[in-house]
Amino acid sequence: MKLTITLAWRYLRGRGSRSFLTTLAVVFGVMLTFGLNGILPAMVDAFTHNLLAAAGKVDLTVTSAYNQPFRPDVVDRLLAVPGVATASPGVQRVAPLPRSADAAPDALAQVVVVGIDLATVGGVHDFPLDSGRMLASADNNAVVMNADLASELGLGVGDQLVLPAAGGTARFRVVGLLSAATVPGQEQVYLTLPAAQQLFGLGSRITQVEAAFTADADRAATEKAVAAALGPDYQVGGLSSESSLLASLQTAEFAFTLFGLFALATAGFIIANSFRTVVAERRRDIGMLRAIGTRRRTVMGMFLVESLIQGVIGTGLGILAGWGLAAGLFAAMSPVFESVLHFRIGGPVFTASTWVTSVLLGIGVTVVAAIVPARAAGRVTPLEAMRPQVGAVYERRVGRRAWIGVGLVVVSLFGLTTGSASLVGLGAVVFLVGIALVAPAVVNPITNWASRPLELVFSREGAIARSNLQRNPGRSAITVTAVMLGLASIVAVISMVTSIFAGFTTYLDKSLSADYLLIPQSIILGQGNVAAGPRLTDDVRAVPGIAAVSTLRVTQAKSDGGDVQVIGIDPATYLKVAAFDWNSGSSDAAVAQLGTGRWVVANGIYAAQHSLMVGQAVLLDTPNGPRTYHLAGIGNDYLNAKLSTLYTSQENLQRDFNVTADLLLMANRTAAADPDQVKAQLNRVVGDFPAFRLYESSTWRAEQMKTFSATTVIFDVLVAALALPSLLALVNTLAISVLTRTREIGMLRAVGATRRQVRRMVMAESLLLSVIGTVFGAVAGLWLGYALVVAMSAVGWQMPYAFPWSGLVATVVVGITFGVLAAIGPARSAARLDVVAALHQE
Amino acid sequence: MSVPLPAEKPPIVEVAGLTKVYGTGAAEVRALDGVDLVVPEGQFITVMGPSGCGKSTLLNLLGGLDTPTAGTISIDGTPLGEMPDDRLTELRRRRIGFVFQFFNLIPVLNAVENASLPLRLDGDADADGRATTWLERIGLGDRLRNRPDQLSGGQQQRVAIARALSTEPALVLADEPTGNLDSKSAGEIGGLLRQVSADWGRSVLMVTHDPRIASFAERLVLMRDGRVVDDLVLDGSHEAPRRALEKAGLL
Repeated sequence: MKLTITLAWRYLRGRGSRSFLTTLAVVFGVMLTFGLNGILPAMVDAFTHNLLAAAGKVDLTVTSAYNQPFRPDVVDRLLAVPGVATASPGVQRVAPLPRSADAAPDALAQVVVVGIDLATVGGVHDFPLDSGRMLASADNNAVVMNADLASELGLGVGDQLVLPAAGGTARFRVVGLLSAATVPGQEQVYLTLPAAQQLFGLGSRITQVEAAFTADADRAATEKAVAAALGPDYQVGGLSSESSLLASLQTAEFAFTLFGLFALATAGFIIANSFRTVVAERRRDIGMLRAIGTRRRTVMGMFLVESLIQGVIGTGLGILAGWGLAAGLFAAMSPVFESVLHFRIGGPVFTASTWVTSVLLGIGVTVVAAIVPARAAGRVTPLEAMRPQVGAVYERRVGRRAWIGVGLVVVSLFGLTTGSASLVGLGAVVFLVGIALVAPAVVNPITNWASRPLELVFSREGAIARSNLQRNPGRSAITVTAVMLGLASIVAVISMVTSIFAGFTTYLDKSLSADYLLIPQSIILGQGNVAAGPRLTDDVRAVPGIAAVSTLRVTQAKSDGGDVQVIGIDPATYLKVAAFDWNSGSSDAAVAQLGTGRWVVANGIYAAQHSLMVGQAVLLDTPNGPRTYHLAGIGNDYLNAKLSTLYTSQENLQRDFNVTADLLLMANRTAAADPDQVKAQLNRVVGDFPAFRLYESSTWRAEQMKTFSATTVIFDVLVAALALPSLLALVNTLAISVLTRTREIGMLRAVGATRRQVRRMVMAESLLLSVIGTVFGAVAGLWLGYALVVAMSAVGWQMPYAFPWSGLVATVVVGITFGVLAAIGPARSAARLDVVAALHQE
Repeated sequence: MSVPLPAEKPPIVEVAGLTKVYGTGAAEVRALDGVDLVVPEGQFITVMGPSGCGKSTLLNLLGGLDTPTAGTISIDGTPLGEMPDDRLTELRRRRIGFVFQFFNLIPVLNAVENASLPLRLDGDADADGRATTWLERIGLGDRLRNRPDQLSGGQQQRVAIARALSTEPALVLADEPTGNLDSKSAGEIGGLLRQVSADWGRSVLMVTHDPRIASFAERLVLMRDGRVVDDLVLDGSHEAPRRALEKAGLL
């Protein structure tokens, strides 16, 4: 064993540049797996907690079922429930702001005053401080708020905020500003709990408790246990309605893991290729070893130990690089996220499973990739020592393997079209393996075809390059495959991003076809929202230049034990100001159907969660008992793209849920109307309803798009990181093919090839390989991207497939550029070969 | 024609009716056609003949690198017969030493490490010590830590000979050991191989094309078309092998 290790180590050191290139492949694979897995949990965390859920680390909120303040001992009862880690009592009340005479009509009229218990609130909320300081327990008249809200109110640190109190007004000093983003309708200012209790005259009573679960708690079970422990006087709201959002994020996470796997598979191909060459080069050494008494096992072991050493070193360096990649990405993205999205993304998080996965995959892939070459080495006969032969003749079972590959591709198509995320993942891997097996069989004919245009440019060298590649189709196929894998992942990522972007744009444009939106300034679910009676709608409709008005009413219901948001629309007017993005089989007719009885339209998430089809029954728990609805159609809108939602008629909402107030009002203006005039008139109407605020859809849309663009930065970085291993694969194969043909190149030079011709020959080889790999990669990537988009739709994240034209062009350009870049080093070293020395090399 | 065995020396190599056929039908090549040969302990024997006469095949079969079509081989009293690969490998490691035309040293190991390879493969605790002793005996005591690329061809072949001798084998097989050397180095290697048999008591079987190198051996076997055509004692004169070749019509 010691000898095996000595030999392996010496060979690795003796062929430094080769070992370096091979190891680098492992480094890249592990770097991506480790780095991405370190970034994603932190990103998902940031998204769930900061941006989309807007609920901090809150897993559950307890409020009074009767909208009354209650005694704080609920906290202790809550903490007694297994699975509850933290419970923080609080007060949340809307407070009108004193209105000055010269205030703009759309100026903020009220804020949500939140009293927080400083001792416990840290367990459920983060307060990222931007300037000033956080509240202290002795602060009876201090307030902190988000910086963007403060600037809207014209306040800074040290300024005073006047709030109406139980007796008169109370003055609070702004002591700190937070860097979080304010969600319209959630303009919150934070006081200490005692200060808030005093402000609203609550004594020691509170209005809500927010709780966080232990990491291992079963979310649904804990929610149930809490509801049982507290009884019917309390309303328990969980994050379960967001679980659909989590599912989408998990899909994304899964997709990223898949790309990490692609990167490692690419590394595996590079390693296998490298070891094949190494075995071929050392046939004589191996033959001698066998002749002087080395067992097959020992020879095989020598190569496996060599791969193990490379695996260990590569994995170690890869983990370091991955850490660097993650840290670098976070450093680069933090300013973007903080300035655009106003949230902190923290630092990379490397879980134990990330460590274990990276180490096992890194070392495992290296060793597995070396097995086939190592076995080939074990089969080298001792006679090789006697009759040296230049260039190995490999047993080629190209034909049979190609058919297996075709079989795998066919099988993978089933997996890819099932729509089940895990089967799509499996299908994707099987698909690529299949393509990799087919590649050697088609490399020669494709090379023939692809080299024609090349020979126009490279004339004689092109033909030599072509025959070089065709002489060793196995090696060419591996390079092509490595390039293909890298580029396929890039094209797939770009397809997905393009489609997500296109999907959101479509949602935005379709759902927000209304010109104006009237949204209440404070939306506090479960606390009796400020909503408007019919007068607001009538007033808006009466404004000259307004063509159509429609409203949304919202309530919560239970369905199959889960929460669902039920939105009441007016079937007669809804489609004039808004639209659904229908799934196939549904149409606008479903909206008309809502008015004809207990019908609902479900969004994709709800339909996917309950595997519903049009016409099926939907059982809803309403305040008036269980009611059976039927599904009229499946469609999505932007506002509710991420929440499990049902739409029904406002009539049904009134009858079964007792909800009559409008929560959101959408209006269109007539084509002939003057926008400025209509806006001024609307502002006047809204002035009488201080709880509501007027938004122009175009402004709102622009803001949403800006937010979304910022989040795609991470994809760009990912694409770049995926591209590097392909470049490496090309450089590696080319370098190795130059090394193995040292003598041949020497001969070419001896019979009169100029340095320039040798250089051009290597360049032509590289270009041929990269062109073929790029074509394969583009085709495979398009298909994979399509499958991924379909898979995302299957879990409820409906998006239209958008063909990534620009991404495709970019990939082809990158692929061919890589071909040229990769050839520079090997071409130079080939051209510089000392002819005499090269000819003497064995 | 055949040389009588010195009665007191036990045979190391016993070959009877050795035949090797490559290919079948029209493509059939009889590389060896019923060769009988006995090599006693400590004898330096050289095999000569034109290309394709079967001398390399003979060497490969004796080394257990290839299997015969017919006939028997016994090395140091052990019949090779149907030995499985691992036992054959072990036999090669312990009882046979190989010297190749292209030296076949591992480029990333130094002289001592190369010479001690078979001992290490055998798990010998004093592998380096024994290899060093042999390197010093053959005059490479000052190049112990040099890698092959830092040694001349003659020196590399000495390392290979030290490697072959390090396990104290009964038989050393040398395939064109001087084919890749200049004439001065070739002469030195020839002398060294004679020393291997005369001073250290190993049987040496060498295949060569060079009559001058063949003259270092004490016995010459001439082959043609897979058969032994002559088997004679050499007197150490440089001309003897050439005369034997001329006589057999092989020059």
